[in-house]
Amino acid sequence: MSVVPMKRISVIAMKKDRKAVLEYLQVLGVVEVSFKRKEDEVFRKQDMSAQQRMFEQRAAQAEEALQILKNNAPEKTSIAAALTGRVEMSRQEFDEKLARREEILKECSSVIELDKHLAETVSSIPKLKDQKKALEPWMNFDLPLDLKETRKTAIFTGTLQGEYDRESLYTALKKYAGEAAFDADIISADATQTCIFLVCGKKDAAALKEALRRLSFAAPPVTGMNPKDSAAKIDRELEKADSELTTIHDKFQELAKFRDDLKFMSDYFTVRADKYGVISDLLQSRRVFFLEGYIPEPDAGSVQQRLEAKFDVAVTFSEPGKKEKPPILLKNNGFAAPLEGVTESYSMPDKGEIDPTFVSACFYYILFGMMLSDAAYGIILAVATGIILAKFGKKMEDGMKKTMKMFFFCGLSTTFWGFMFGSFFGDAVSVIATTFFNRPDIALKPLWFEPINEPMRMLSFCFLVALIHMFVGVGVKGYQQLKAGQVLDFIYDCVFWWVFIIALIVWLLSVPSMAGMLQLKTLPQAVVKPAQILALISAIGIILTGGRESKNWFKRILKGLYALYGISSWLSDVLSYSRLLALGLATGVIATVFNSMGSMGGRTPAGVIMFIVVFLIGNVLNLAINALGAYVHTNRLTYVEFFGKFYNGGGKKFVPFAANTKYYKFKEDMES
Amino acid sequence: MSFGLFFALAGAALAAATSGLGSAKGVGMAGQAAAGATTDNPDLFSKVLILQLLPGTQGIYGLLIAFICLSQIGIMGGAANPDMPLATGLLYFAACLPVIIVEPISAVHQGKTAVASISMVSKKQETFGKSMIFPAMVETYAILALLISILAIFGVSALA
Repeated sequence: MSVVPMKRISVIAMKKDRKAVLEYLQVLGVVEVSFKRKEDEVFRKQDMSAQQRMFEQRAAQAEEALQILKNNAPEKTSIAAALTGRVEMSRQEFDEKLARREEILKECSSVIELDKHLAETVSSIPKLKDQKKALEPWMNFDLPLDLKETRKTAIFTGTLQGEYDRESLYTALKKYAGEAAFDADIISADATQTCIFLVCGKKDAAALKEALRRLSFAAPPVTGMNPKDSAAKIDRELEKADSELTTIHDKFQELAKFRDDLKFMSDYFTVRADKYGVISDLLQSRRVFFLEGYIPEPDAGSVQQRLEAKFDVAVTFSEPGKKEKPPILLKNNGFAAPLEGVTESYSMPDKGEIDPTFVSACFYYILFGMMLSDAAYGIILAVATGIILAKFGKKMEDGMKKTMKMFFFCGLSTTFWGFMFGSFFGDAVSVIATTFFNRPDIALKPLWFEPINEPMRMLSFCFLVALIHMFVGVGVKGYQQLKAGQVLDFIYDCVFWWVFIIALIVWLLSVPSMAGMLQLKTLPQAVVKPAQILALISAIGIILTGGRESKNWFKRILKGLYALYGISSWLSDVLSYSRLLALGLATGVIATVFNSMGSMGGRTPAGVIMFIVVFLIGNVLNLAINALGAYVHTNRLTYVEFFGKFYNGGGKKFVPFAANTKYYKFKEDMES
Repeated sequence: MSFGLFFALAGAALAAATSGLGSAKGVGMAGQAAAGATTDNPDLFSKVLILQLLPGTQGIYGLLIAFICLSQIGIMGGAANPDMPLATGLLYFAACLPVIIVEPISAVHQGKTAVASISMVSKKQETFGKSMIFPAMVETYAILALLISILAIFGVSALA
């Protein structure tokens, strides 16, 4: 229920044990490395970043290979797998895999190689297809396309832009080539290009070359063979590429069996890289190394014992210095622990602040329940998360488990408020009874009252919850001040405000119109005077003390007046809790709407089917949207209205040096 | 038949219509940002989806008011009074005004804030808790408008 006290730990050990000691600490995962001491003549740091980078690279390689396998041979995953988190690995399995390290590295590179091969093959196909297309106009030609000459003749084979027939070709060539003698054949022609074959005597070659150039002559796709043969060759290559793709696909399926190895490799090298990161930080002399950090106090004793039992080490503890800000670790009971994430999302408590998790948990579940406020939805939420917890709870990662537990408690509270306000899938009970059983007398009676019929009553209740919530917030601040011995601050910041607000409320409620609007009984007029006097006294108190950090009295009073103006923020904070009413009504009304839409088919078989369909879709939608709304707005009320009264945060989370793996948990077994 | 029922119905219809328009725009903007963030990092999907949905509530509040209004004037449930006095109809219309006016504007602004929050989460995943609060602040005013409309509609139907 609080912030776990931290101690500074320093470990001095023999350098020969360095690897073992660090690995052991990593497995224990309870020390956050943090150095205060600087280098000196004897103790120096050793730069291990090169090794660290190398291991990081290997881990990245394994991740790349895993991604490749995921793309080419996807793993079948179930919802259960998504819930269960990392797989535990025994020491024996670990050693077995570690022994096969070189082999696994080879597996990894073979996956990456195969992916490269796949990319090459895939990209070769369009290239081959292009080549084949370029050959198409030449299919009637039966000489190799790169034939340049015979003994006495020069040969030009290629394409001209535009369409020519034999006559126009001769005219065009003669225009530029003059008297040169030649023989030209048209192989094929279309609107964009004409493929020609031209033979001439070697003496005329230069003239014809120039003439052709002027007609934008271009060389043909080069092949040493005649076009038909080379097209056939391309076809064979395409077939080969196709079958290669199949082979690669099969190979990937086969390589998929190495997936576990690769996961191990990724985890293993990540852990090693982390370890080398720590080695770079260590202070080392010739034979000894020195490690400093933080450790949660409850773990200190056992860690010392274990280390001293295993190695030649000197473990000492000390209190963190006054100016130091030790990292923060929260510890709460099963009821509040699920909300540590909510606190952490806001900010970890600063040094000296209390952990607000427990006190916020008390309200969190209530607020969530009031906003979702439907018994059926609550039951669904609680049962679903309950089953998941019972089935996978042991294997689940901590974060996921906490979320599930949080929604479990939220579900229970929702059920409670649902019955209080008489909502079970909205008004499903009475709709079904009326439509299908002709019994309009049956309905789920609220244990307390129905907000939809008495919205003002519900609103008053929301305001009451608001006041209690915020008074407790102020109270927590007061508790901290009392604990720190600042009794006067407690009176100024808490007691004055409590009295001021309560007096104002009493005064307001003694005004008949005000009380009537909130559907409350008007308080007797006898209380008006005392309430006014108390309000006045506390207001003066706030004006005098609200700016007490200023020495200058003028400034101090101004600041005090501004502090009193803070009453407006109390007003807006209280009004903010009307979202409890609005969201609560939203759930009920939308469910009601779906129910009445569904029952429009009446008491016929088709009507029953229609009801079931509309009912299912409507309520699933409603539950999803309103559970999200309830979650977001419960957080908002906690962060803004509640934390705003007492909590600043600003602490740093405790991040121990541990095996931060993604796929396997090495922890338990390796302790032995 | 008098114009009373027309104005009452117009109030309900406009409440659903303007809020829906606003939410459609807000959710749409946030959705584009969310899609962008998810391309870079698919793991963000569930987080940015929540942020995307935040501006959607205004549409629901509009719907809520529309339904409450329809059921109070009897259009839903088939007990509508075709001769509703013009004054009553106008009162219903006035009761719907906070929602008609505030919801679309707050939905669009919440959408813009959600876009900013999505880019915040995509840069730093761990800020999710905080990023959710900024759009939720905008929603306060949508809720206050909803509250006044609800109370006013029930008040008007108590008069009639």
